[in-house]
Amino acid sequence: MALEGLRILDFTRLGFGAQATLICGCLGAEVIRVESTRFPDAIRVMPPFVPEPGERGEAFGAATLANATGAPSPNRGGIFYKYNTGGKKSITVDARHPKGLAVLKDLVAHSDVVTESFAAGTLDRWGLSYEVMRQIRPDIIYVSMCGFGHEGPDTNHVTMGPTAQALTGLTFMVGLPDRPPAGWSFSYLDHVGGYLGAIAVLAGAIHRGRTGEGQHIDVSQLEPATALSGALLLDAVLNNRPSRRPGFPTGNRREHPPAGPSGAYRALGDDKWVVVSCRTQDQWEALVEAMGRPRWAADPRFATVAGRVQHADNLDAHLQAWTSERDRYDVMDMLQRAGVPAGAVQDAADRLERDPQLAARGHYTMLGNTEVEPLPLEGVPFRMSATPPHTGGVLHRGPPCLGEDNEAVLGEVLGMSADDIAALDADGALS
Amino acid sequence: MTAPLDSVRVLELTDESADYCGRLLAGLGADVVKVEPPDGAPSRHIGPFLDDEPGPDRSLCFWADNVGKRSMVVHDDAEVVALCGAADLLVHTLRPAQAEARGLGFAALHELAPSLVVCAVTPFGSDGPWADYLADDLVLMALGGSMAACGYGPGADGVYDTPPLASHGDQAWRTASTYAAIAVLGALAWRSQSGAGQLIDVSAHECSASMTEWHLMTYLCSGGVHRRGPHPTLTASDGRQVAALNPDFLGPHVFAGMLEMLEREGVAGPLSDPAFADPVHRAANYREVWRALKRLAEKHDGETLYELGQGAGLPWGVIRSPEEVLEDRHLRARDHFVELEHPELGRSVVYSGAPFLAHASPWVMDRRPPLLGEHTAEVRAQWSQR
Repeated sequence: MALEGLRILDFTRLGFGAQATLICGCLGAEVIRVESTRFPDAIRVMPPFVPEPGERGEAFGAATLANATGAPSPNRGGIFYKYNTGGKKSITVDARHPKGLAVLKDLVAHSDVVTESFAAGTLDRWGLSYEVMRQIRPDIIYVSMCGFGHEGPDTNHVTMGPTAQALTGLTFMVGLPDRPPAGWSFSYLDHVGGYLGAIAVLAGAIHRGRTGEGQHIDVSQLEPATALSGALLLDAVLNNRPSRRPGFPTGNRREHPPAGPSGAYRALGDDKWVVVSCRTQDQWEALVEAMGRPRWAADPRFATVAGRVQHADNLDAHLQAWTSERDRYDVMDMLQRAGVPAGAVQDAADRLERDPQLAARGHYTMLGNTEVEPLPLEGVPFRMSATPPHTGGVLHRGPPCLGEDNEAVLGEVLGMSADDIAALDADGALS
Repeated sequence: MTAPLDSVRVLELTDESADYCGRLLAGLGADVVKVEPPDGAPSRHIGPFLDDEPGPDRSLCFWADNVGKRSMVVHDDAEVVALCGAADLLVHTLRPAQAEARGLGFAALHELAPSLVVCAVTPFGSDGPWADYLADDLVLMALGGSMAACGYGPGADGVYDTPPLASHGDQAWRTASTYAAIAVLGALAWRSQSGAGQLIDVSAHECSASMTEWHLMTYLCSGGVHRRGPHPTLTASDGRQVAALNPDFLGPHVFAGMLEMLEREGVAGPLSDPAFADPVHRAANYREVWRALKRLAEKHDGETLYELGQGAGLPWGVIRSPEEVLEDRHLRARDHFVELEHPELGRSVVYSGAPFLAHASPWVMDRRPPLLGEHTAEVRAQWSQR
């Protein structure tokens, strides 16, 4: 695997940081997650919980850290399973225990990369600042991931994905004209920040391979987002066309390149939708043909893309009258076979149960652990011919139970005997 | 100081779906050469255009994702193949049959240049029942699951009367481009040990399908699916919206800081009742919490409200348009935005810059997007030798 031999000492929590190290794990890195029994990763103990076989769990709606005390175990938190594939290992070490800190320092000495996603300054308070780590291991690659990063006036700001999305323009870009933005209902930037965190690890490793030099790479959740608005920023600055203007954002319609019809249309069923998007004249003509050449489609106002854009409301009403009598997948398949870009609006259940492409591509990998039955989990969504990634990492294993690798890691990496480990545990250093 | 990909040669044969991959690689210091037909790469013909005048060197769509690259006009595929022999990496957006037809199939390239890494970014990947289906970003946002979870909530009657929505900014393509860059870095890291190239097959659909947080897990755990609806927002005195997430989400200690701020602002009202210190009582009477926050919002503009909330330890963020982000003091202090000279226009243009701060290997951001064919002769001369 591509990153085999790279060892990452991983202090990440929640989504943003853990997304980065799951990618590294899927590429073959050895990821050693460090938690403590008193402060496990919050997503281990937040609903939804992976149910016992034959049971049905609680939905996410009621989740708060405050009500997480009723968690059945630190190993059934469903969100944990999204972000901790990649064959990550789990150890529990109390960084506030002197012997625990000593163990962590030994692990730094034996690691290539240290990753974390705490608030800025947390590792410093433990006595594990970058300065300390580089004295232990001069070429250590330290990748910190937190909302505002470790430098700048607002490093103490509290962020979650939706906060960063609001601040960077992403929330603004989702909405219908002349209404408040709808935004994203999930933390898209936990993913994007994590992707850039993975790029930071990879770039740091390549740089060290070339120069022998380690470094601290400071990843925030804001900066990876600013390029995501594409040309909107340039259009505002250069053409004096701010995005904050009447009529913008434009829902699902895009001015560039001009397309018509283009949007989400109702399909048969309760709140079912299908996207149809014609950019070219050929695609439009194929759509007309596929619909059986309805009379409305011959309206000269719809003859050119400019006309279809200008009369989009009228066009959309006609098209939706056609789609709304049909199943969304039938529309998609019929139009795709005719050469028209189209796609069902799918939710997570559809992706798992109905999407033949994801199934055929092996998008899901069945992985469990000693406490949880195998589940269809996700890793990295690409293939590599010579170094195939695996959702279960090098060892093809599922997300780890809390502390399940204490003996293995301390024994194999640090060369400790079973007695040493038992003594540390008895001292409370491994809690 | 050198950049991580300093002197790594990247040949790029992409349309607008994967231009962003090369931009990331250029930021890491790679020499990214965009191979273009005589009339320019597809993204040069997508607006908006500078001063709304179309032209291959005026597309802002092109500028946004091609900063840091060089451009070479190539008339025939034989030259592209020859250039592959001098490159470390080829990134393209050709489907397998298209690549074969142009002499750019992986088997042939691998024989020509065994250490060449080839990365193909396509809508659905190289195989599977949908491999030949067509997609733009909107189609991929629908199939991937983002749209189903984005948009306005149902009306009072429980009926969703507006459609699922996709973000502007081509987020499915961007996610695919970013994953392509990750895979490329993995392949280059491995090549530095093994000397061998390989083929990377990126399905934009799979990328888009894996970016909806824990939605899959919710379904697996409970059988439920996430429906669409905005996060809670406050409307400030200037009409700006501020994302104001339920502060209890972070734990009960957050309420104390919020209450102190609300009392200082004179809008706490019933929240000063000690009963509200109990999270259960608070949850049952959340309407009172929200009313107090609305009273606060009426007093302040959006940016001030954001600072007040953050000062009290609340994960609030004012909803900004992309151009409003330019004024963020934190990003300015981190020198995030970069002005690049466009000498042919006699002006500079501001671009979003480094996605992270890497002090030993800083992000490279010193070359404006290339004019069409600007570096044809230069690259031909340089790449003819290794």
